[in-house]
Amino acid sequence: MTEASREDRTVIGVYHLTKTFPSGHALEDVNFQIANGEFVFLVGPSGAGKSTLLRMIYMADFPTSGQVLVGQFVSTRMKRKDIPYLRRRVGIVFQDYKLLEDRSVFDNIAIGMRITGATLYQIKRRVTSLLNEVGLFHKRFALPNTLSGGEQQRVAIARALVNHPAILLADEPTGNLDPDSAEDILRLIFKINAGGTAVLMATHDHSFVQNFGQRIIHLRDGKVFEDRTTHLVGNLSDRLEAVRLDRERQRRVEREIKRQRASTIAPTKSE
Amino acid sequence: MFRRVFYIVDEAVRTLRRHKGLTSISIVIMSLSLLMLAVFLLATDNILKVVGEAQEEMKIYVYLEDRTGQGAIEGLYQTILEQHEVQSVVFVSKDQALADFRDQLGDGADMLNALRANPLPNAFHVEPKPEFKNRDAMVALSARIQSMSGVEEVRYGKEFIDKFQSIVRGIYYIDGVVGFIVILSAVFIIANAVRLTVISRRRTIEILKLVGATDPYIVAPFVIEGAFQGGVAAVLSLVLLRVVTEATSNAIPDLTFFSPEKSLLYLVICVLIGSLGSFVALRKILRTQP
Repeated sequence: MTEASREDRTVIGVYHLTKTFPSGHALEDVNFQIANGEFVFLVGPSGAGKSTLLRMIYMADFPTSGQVLVGQFVSTRMKRKDIPYLRRRVGIVFQDYKLLEDRSVFDNIAIGMRITGATLYQIKRRVTSLLNEVGLFHKRFALPNTLSGGEQQRVAIARALVNHPAILLADEPTGNLDPDSAEDILRLIFKINAGGTAVLMATHDHSFVQNFGQRIIHLRDGKVFEDRTTHLVGNLSDRLEAVRLDRERQRRVEREIKRQRASTIAPTKSE
Repeated sequence: MFRRVFYIVDEAVRTLRRHKGLTSISIVIMSLSLLMLAVFLLATDNILKVVGEAQEEMKIYVYLEDRTGQGAIEGLYQTILEQHEVQSVVFVSKDQALADFRDQLGDGADMLNALRANPLPNAFHVEPKPEFKNRDAMVALSARIQSMSGVEEVRYGKEFIDKFQSIVRGIYYIDGVVGFIVILSAVFIIANAVRLTVISRRRTIEILKLVGATDPYIVAPFVIEGAFQGGVAAVLSLVLLRVVTEATSNAIPDLTFFSPEKSLLYLVICVLIGSLGSFVALRKILRTQP
């Protein structure tokens, strides 16, 4: 692949990005590019600057120095009124879902298209297809707070995809979920990536990111500590299975510890 | 374009229906503070009406010398009528004046029989144009008429006008101060009610921004809601005011309600206050949120 064609395929470019807050450096000279359709894990302990970096990419905040490129948008030349159009090219998913509690699943997904002025027919078609893709068509009239965490996150993902973004940004999307739901969400995100959408997923959970065959950008203390591509060991389902087994074992151990603790603190209490 | 407008109006209607509780509370708060404003406006309206009626009564009485002949009287009539401040002139002859006086006295009119000659002079009743019914214009006009030949005396109720002028000035002053306080507090209360609505929907605004809504799309539904709340509150406060004026009609019999035109103007102003309030409160939040 030539250097020029690689440039064309870049969907996100981060160049010498430094962000300084009054409390000190949050990010220091961060450099990386993400190509169209690529899957990248952004890992690092909490406080490493993952969320700050993502905020720079959807331009909720701007670098102190350096530059961020997202499609044809350049952070140093951004005007306030351009930001909505950038957000339509970037799907964003958060740990806390950020759904509108007062409207149905369908309306939550549709809102992303209504703001663009799409026709009701276009909206209905797109939202229906997304509802099928995330497996929530039967819950389209439900309100978010009647859904499980995993279902709410799937609604949030569908909303993020509604305008066919070039990249999906996910900030700890599995952070609030039980292991089974987390696995479902991860599978869904892999599936979306397989459909051609680039993904940048921030997580502090190493069990997810090892050996899936994805690129990993490792942030530590606001710097890129490591940027490497792992190799997929076995197939995807096997890897997810391994993660699940690990979690299952861990959960059993934790339950046992809890039980022992409970019985030592309150030995008279019967089961 | 049409579709966007439809979505925006749809958005506003949905939110109003979803947040019935909060909407009702802010409408009640708004109508009560608007009622305060309406009471003040009605009082002002009625004071202005009374002042206007009192000004109606301002007239100049011109008494003529007895030896002025018929021709001279007619000349004088023309000259006074030609003064630019004058609306109309009515001639009241000696005999006419005596007859009027007799009517007015009624039973006591017998004492007039003792008169051998009519002591009342011929007179003109001069009605100035409305814009000249103030102290300075009246004084100037009277002085000019006084200087005409054949005029014995000019009366325009100098004491009354002087007193009236200072009372009116006092009323205007008090009205202005009270009005300032009432309007300020109404605007303050309404702005706070609106701000509450906007703050309660911070999360919605944040999400709309994240999915790429432009500022007008976020602001417009709020402005529509604000206008709606202002309008409903205006109607409610007018109904309340009507109830209050009906209830107190024994104590204040001459109170007149707003004319339909003034009611409409009031409604329009309240709608503007509601929508502007939303707009201002929202702009602040839009700026502070990424």
